[in-house]
Amino acid sequence: MVSRVRTSVATVTELFARRPWTQWIAILAAGTLALSLIGGGSFLGKSVVIGLTQHAPLVLAAMGFALLYRLTGLINVAYSETLTWGAYIGWWFNTSLGWNFYASLLPAGLLAGALSVATYLAIFRPAKQRNMGALEMIIMSFGLSILLRYSFQFVFGYPVRFYDVTTSTTARVLGVGVSSFRLLALASVLILAVALYLFIQKSTYGLQIRALASDEDLAQVSGIRPLFVTSLIWFIAGVAGGLAGAFYGVGSNVAYLLGWRQFLFIFLVVMVGGRKSIGGVIIAGIATGIAWAAMNLRLSQTLYAQLVLIVAFIVILKVRGRRTAETGKV
Amino acid sequence: MNLNWLDAFLITGLFSVFMVIGLALLLHLQMGLARIANFGVVGFWGLGMYVYGVLYVQVDWPFDDPWRFLLSALAGVVAAGISGLLVGWLIADLDEDGVLLGTFGFATIVWILATTETALTKGALGLGGLQFPYRLGNAKQNEALWLLILIVVVALIMLYVWRVHRSPYGRLLVAVGGNEPLAQSLGKPAFRTKLGVFTVGAAGMGLLGVMYGVLERFLETSNLGVDLTLAAVVGLVVGGTARLWGPVVGVALTVGLFDIVIQSYIPLPKSWYGQAIPVLREMVFGAVLIGILLFRPLGILGDMRRDKLMRSMHGE
Amino acid sequence: MSDLQNSAPAARPEIRVEGAVKSFSGRVVVDVDELVLGDQPIEGLIGPNGAGKTTLMRMIMHSTPLDRGRISMHPDGPGGEEIVLSDLPTFAMAGRGLVKSNQVIMDFDRLTIWDSLLFAVAGARCERPYRVFAEHDLFDAHEDEIRGYLAYFGFTDPMGFAQSAGEKKLLDIVRCLLLKPRFLMLDEPTAGLPDELTEKVMDKIRELAAAGTAVVIVEHDLNVIWSLCDQVHFMAEGSVILRGTSEEIRAHKTVVEKYLGEGHV
Repeated sequence: MVSRVRTSVATVTELFARRPWTQWIAILAAGTLALSLIGGGSFLGKSVVIGLTQHAPLVLAAMGFALLYRLTGLINVAYSETLTWGAYIGWWFNTSLGWNFYASLLPAGLLAGALSVATYLAIFRPAKQRNMGALEMIIMSFGLSILLRYSFQFVFGYPVRFYDVTTSTTARVLGVGVSSFRLLALASVLILAVALYLFIQKSTYGLQIRALASDEDLAQVSGIRPLFVTSLIWFIAGVAGGLAGAFYGVGSNVAYLLGWRQFLFIFLVVMVGGRKSIGGVIIAGIATGIAWAAMNLRLSQTLYAQLVLIVAFIVILKVRGRRTAETGKV
Repeated sequence: MNLNWLDAFLITGLFSVFMVIGLALLLHLQMGLARIANFGVVGFWGLGMYVYGVLYVQVDWPFDDPWRFLLSALAGVVAAGISGLLVGWLIADLDEDGVLLGTFGFATIVWILATTETALTKGALGLGGLQFPYRLGNAKQNEALWLLILIVVVALIMLYVWRVHRSPYGRLLVAVGGNEPLAQSLGKPAFRTKLGVFTVGAAGMGLLGVMYGVLERFLETSNLGVDLTLAAVVGLVVGGTARLWGPVVGVALTVGLFDIVIQSYIPLPKSWYGQAIPVLREMVFGAVLIGILLFRPLGILGDMRRDKLMRSMHGE
Repeated sequence: MSDLQNSAPAARPEIRVEGAVKSFSGRVVVDVDELVLGDQPIEGLIGPNGAGKTTLMRMIMHSTPLDRGRISMHPDGPGGEEIVLSDLPTFAMAGRGLVKSNQVIMDFDRLTIWDSLLFAVAGARCERPYRVFAEHDLFDAHEDEIRGYLAYFGFTDPMGFAQSAGEKKLLDIVRCLLLKPRFLMLDEPTAGLPDELTEKVMDKIRELAAAGTAVVIVEHDLNVIWSLCDQVHFMAEGSVILRGTSEEIRAHKTVVEKYLGEGHV
């Protein structure tokens, strides 16, 4: 009996090692099972629907952050401000100019991308040329984050802002009432996420980006313009952040702390899911969103869900960090 | 004693300047010498403050001040120290990313618990009922004495840091921060060293939190935001992360300039004080952090000078 | 001898390598079936570039984890207590008397030469967070010893920082010597040093070995090996293929073909 368990554990471990995506499927299956065991089918359905509609922007935001983290090796705390910026831009076009929400996504994404490139060219590139250490880089991006955040507050004022979207009909999905606007928003976020994923995996620029990530010198030799491609990476990351911010904004409201409030969770999702692949970020983001919603349904206070998530993620990192700790010795 | 020159505003301003100097000095041990970032300063500080406040107010003490205060304060310091040990254990073998996550996550957890556990902390409403552990006379005299005690405490922290620079322990911190694998190969336990410096630093931050709680006499969760961490980091980086006097110079030029000189002595339109000044302050702090790191990464005072130090200690 | 140590001089420590294999991305770099180091006072480890000498040393220090196999140390000689080295945390090796110098230059940028040496001799007891007045005790206890080394090797400005690559290399070796190792491994200790300093380093090594420390040297300068070593291991393609005295090894046909080339001897 014991030996049979042992061999099946070994088989599963080997499968995980050979095909990493099976891990994620196993995690999702285990999560689904756990949720249905806790509260039955309706609880599962509620968690999934609320989790996806409320936390879908997390997936998009985490993908942008992961792109920067994996390709430039930078922990950019100021990334959270592209979310805030995108949310404010979208809100301004939506309310002041009367644009449709989906039309206002265009300037929100583009201007957030532009902000992201600007921070790269003005600050992070010079810092890299001065061989700034990893610790100083993080502190500097922290400073940039503060500067941008309070500048937004200065410019856009103190009141909490709301998008102007007329809530239309309510549909019932898996026994949960959801406004059709939220469903459309969810679909848009998922489409954007998949598009970004495919872009990175398939397109020519995607190939160049991946080449740059694996070896900058090699990339230069093979005719890739590093400055252009790196700027492109920052731009795409900024667009993803800005769009995620606009979706967060339309889902609840816009305030200067919008991006900062999400930063810890974006960071956690990327560190846990995105060390190896962008696909892992999508799965980790979705799983986080659903777990978050499920906990909010069950726990007495919404903040407890955040507490559990932070602790769980840090424990995962600690366990994993132990395993890789061996490499950094003399 | 004539205390007319010292208004309530100035007391609060001076108190926050000296408190941030203390925090930056402790951060200097962690970040300047041992090279471990701590983005959760406010978490350790806040934990000390709240543990003290909750015990002082909510426990039915059989005796009164000063014992009631001393025991609550001691519990706050110990709790912060233990949390430092725990956080240190979590992050000591992770790289910068993990350290950022762990410390920042810890500060967020402290804020969450202070907000949710309303039975103990009164949450966002704020916890009142604290008082000075002595009664001198009027409120201003009490506050002035407390400021004086804080200055003594910060001076003691500085004395400790000054001694650390001149001790084998300081050398150990610099070595582990500079080349961890080499230090390990010479038989030095890097992990344990980091745990130690995190525990000591956290306990000190907790003590400063307790002292702030006493001065304010009212604990609010809004104090637990990122602003305090920012102030300590900016002060330290501006002055010089690796220097003993870095925190003093840096905090005086940043928090001191803003919270005392600009707020008290420069005539600004009244309407600015409520909203514009705090926002501008944070903006300037962020910009200064970027500028210093780009153009003078070691701060105004520059890098540590162990050659001068060794000559002065062991001379030739 | 017995007046130097508490009891009879302890036997020389030995390190056993059994079935140790390490490969990097599919290529086997080290595959040592059985190797005992510490038989003789000073042993050399030679071989062509890429033979796996440095990797083997790193595997012994467990700074490169093994794929397979077992490396153990017997601090009191064969038959005594056995320590499996991979069970020890990295920092505990020095405490058990096992010390290695570095092939590439390793230094503490912010520490002066004096700092670096005081750091090496300082025990854990004077490095606790509350021992902030321990500096003068430490200095007084080790001043003469350190001054001895500084004068012997002639550092130009010991209160300042190590300037040249050579000084940093020497500093690395002196740090190792100050740890009073029972088993010392030296990875190219004289690379980049002028001849007179090489001589001085070799003398120190002889002194140390005579006092009971086991020494293993990896070195490209074969004159150092021939004049210093009581036994030489020859490594090629990840395995130890020969062992013998200096004379046996330098006369061996395979070594000459694979490594020395004609006319070297």
